[in-house]
Amino acid sequence: MLNITELQKEAWQSFETSGLPTTRDEDWKYTDLSRLQALLGDKWWQVAATETAVDVTALAIPELDAYRILFINGHFDAAGSNIPTSISFTPLASLMQEKPEKATELIQHQPQAPLNNSIIAANSALASDGACICIADNSHLDKPLYILYLNSGGSNHLRTGIQLGKHAEAEIIEQFSGNHTQAGITTVVTALRLHEGARLEHTRLQMEATKQYHLGRVEVSQQRNSSYTLHSSEVGGLLSRVDIVSQLQEPGATSHLNGLFVASGRQHIDHHTRIDHNAPHCISRENYRSVLDGRAHGVFNGKIVVAKGAVKTDSAQSNANLLLSKEAAIDTKPELEIYNDDVKCAHGVTVGQLDKNQLFYLKSRGLSGEEAKQMLTFAFADEILSKMNHKCVRRFVEKAAFAKLPNITDLEGMLG
Amino acid sequence: MMLKIENLHASVDGKEILKGIDLTIGAGEVHAIMGPNGSGKSTLSNVIAGRDGYEVTQGSVTYKGMDLLAMLPEERAWAGVFLAFQYPVEIPGVNNTYLLKAGVNASRKHRGEQELDAMEFMQLVKEKAKLVELDQSFLSRGVNEGFSGGEKKRNEIFQMAVLEPSLALLDETDSGLDIDALRIVAKGVNELRAAERSIIMITHYQRLLDYIQPDVVHVLADGKILKTGDKSLALKLEERGYDWVREEAHA
Ligand SMILES: Nc1ncnc2c1ncn2[C@@H]1O[C@H](COP(=O)(O)OP(=O)(O)OP(=O)(O)O)[C@@H](O)[C@H]1O
Ligand SMILES: [Mg+2]
Repeated sequence: MLNITELQKEAWQSFETSGLPTTRDEDWKYTDLSRLQALLGDKWWQVAATETAVDVTALAIPELDAYRILFINGHFDAAGSNIPTSISFTPLASLMQEKPEKATELIQHQPQAPLNNSIIAANSALASDGACICIADNSHLDKPLYILYLNSGGSNHLRTGIQLGKHAEAEIIEQFSGNHTQAGITTVVTALRLHEGARLEHTRLQMEATKQYHLGRVEVSQQRNSSYTLHSSEVGGLLSRVDIVSQLQEPGATSHLNGLFVASGRQHIDHHTRIDHNAPHCISRENYRSVLDGRAHGVFNGKIVVAKGAVKTDSAQSNANLLLSKEAAIDTKPELEIYNDDVKCAHGVTVGQLDKNQLFYLKSRGLSGEEAKQMLTFAFADEILSKMNHKCVRRFVEKAAFAKLPNITDLEGMLG
Repeated sequence: MMLKIENLHASVDGKEILKGIDLTIGAGEVHAIMGPNGSGKSTLSNVIAGRDGYEVTQGSVTYKGMDLLAMLPEERAWAGVFLAFQYPVEIPGVNNTYLLKAGVNASRKHRGEQELDAMEFMQLVKEKAKLVELDQSFLSRGVNEGFSGGEKKRNEIFQMAVLEPSLALLDETDSGLDIDALRIVAKGVNELRAAERSIIMITHYQRLLDYIQPDVVHVLADGKILKTGDKSLALKLEERGYDWVREEAHA
């Protein structure tokens, strides 16, 4: 086996050979990284952070009662963290020093993985830190684990690995934020492994500063009867691409992916999801919505692959998109690859504007045209957020999301 | 005068639906409009409430001395016009009570009155829900979301009770109601009858008029008011249908 230095060198070579993905790659057809160098320079991967101090209190979710793991500009911040004693946690940087063979496992680049791309290889080579977490068999975390990745621009490369033992239960909230005004980039891979009967509720909040690029990936591997729920919100950044790769490896595994993007201005938000039903009797549910205003561009690609032996697969996918302006656009594509007959797969896509009858109804009750629009937009998006467990997290996302849309005047009221 | 409609012509997609409506409604009056399917009754109520997609080609609608057709739908609502829809739309995710609070306070603001605070508003809502015997659980649901046909109609009357309009148009609010619900809705409407409030009820059934006594009954057919009478006209229609009205009008 390669040692860690060799492995990172090899990953870097792999990245250099292929270069950044381009719009000629089928999976990157709509997401153009060609401006990355223009924005960050030829060595976009090693730009220093700006001088702006990271204001943790201003960026974090208020009133969230949770354990916390804090990363600032790609490095673990022990002083700002509060780690539960019931889990095993090591920052990736320490793991690379102390147990390099373990670190190798986490950062190893796997060219065969679905939705593989050269950014992942670059991330393998460059990852400076991340959270390495093991939650023991039968262990139930009493509070959410809040992993906060904050930056003041520059290049950040993070890799996090979380393992849940048999019948372990946890809730994890990952948040990516910054409060600087310069261009920057975050690459991040979160690898999750759920052993038999494990349950994970995963909230992922992409709220990067307005000029940040965010290239993220979530890999989930699930064993028998495990259950994974994702609440993914994409609100921030200039360009954001997140790939969710879910592998249902053993019977009885369940995956729920909920996603919301709210984009305005010239934001570009791309979500690719890939669910592999590799075993019989697994369930997957996918529900993604986008609200696009200004000249925002959204991309949703939801691919579901049902393997030959994966009988009694039960899969449903829905993607609904609301375009608030004429210049906003969405490219959405569900893809099903099914290699056996004994499956239930449903999918539906809608792209549209606000419903005229609903608008008229609201106006006839005395709401101004603008208020009626806001209320319907809010209702559309909130359908996804209503599935979140914690009210304070939901409020936080709602505020961030709707602050971007024209004058939502009475958010508190609408929240009821 | 509450409402004065003169020679109103309106088309949809170039097809003329209203072909010269004349209608005058005094303050405090209750008028019933009856007429065959497709004759233009809902079109008339939509034009009064200000829905898009109708082109008024001739005529005028004057409400409390104002040119109603020049006003936005929400301005009409602020001025006290209310339409109980024939087919109320479902709006999942928009809370029933929140919508009403926004509506009530928007109207109050535009009338220069003080907005109701949360407590005052809840008190109003509870009182009105009781009036139309609407279960409290409906208050916290999405607007009409998953409501049965009859529940939607009852919710419309509940909204009317909360918004306290000056001119209420009830478009077939009685259709789809069971006997008890009809009685309750009628009670709600009767409680709202007042010297400064006028009501237009569109209905197919004489039965409703047993519960809510109209001052005037009109027959709207083929885009025109063909006949106007008192409550006995409704009984006659129930017995004989509409053909004789048409024949009489053409004679
Ligand atoms: N948007 C539209 N496009 C085309 N035709 C329309 C539209 N709206 C109404 N119409 C037509 O106008 C006519 C009158 O419709 P309206 O709904 O006013 O009838 P109504 O008297 O309310 O009938 P009902 O008793 O069945 O409710 C009908 O022939 C209908 O098909
Ligand atoms: Mg009708």
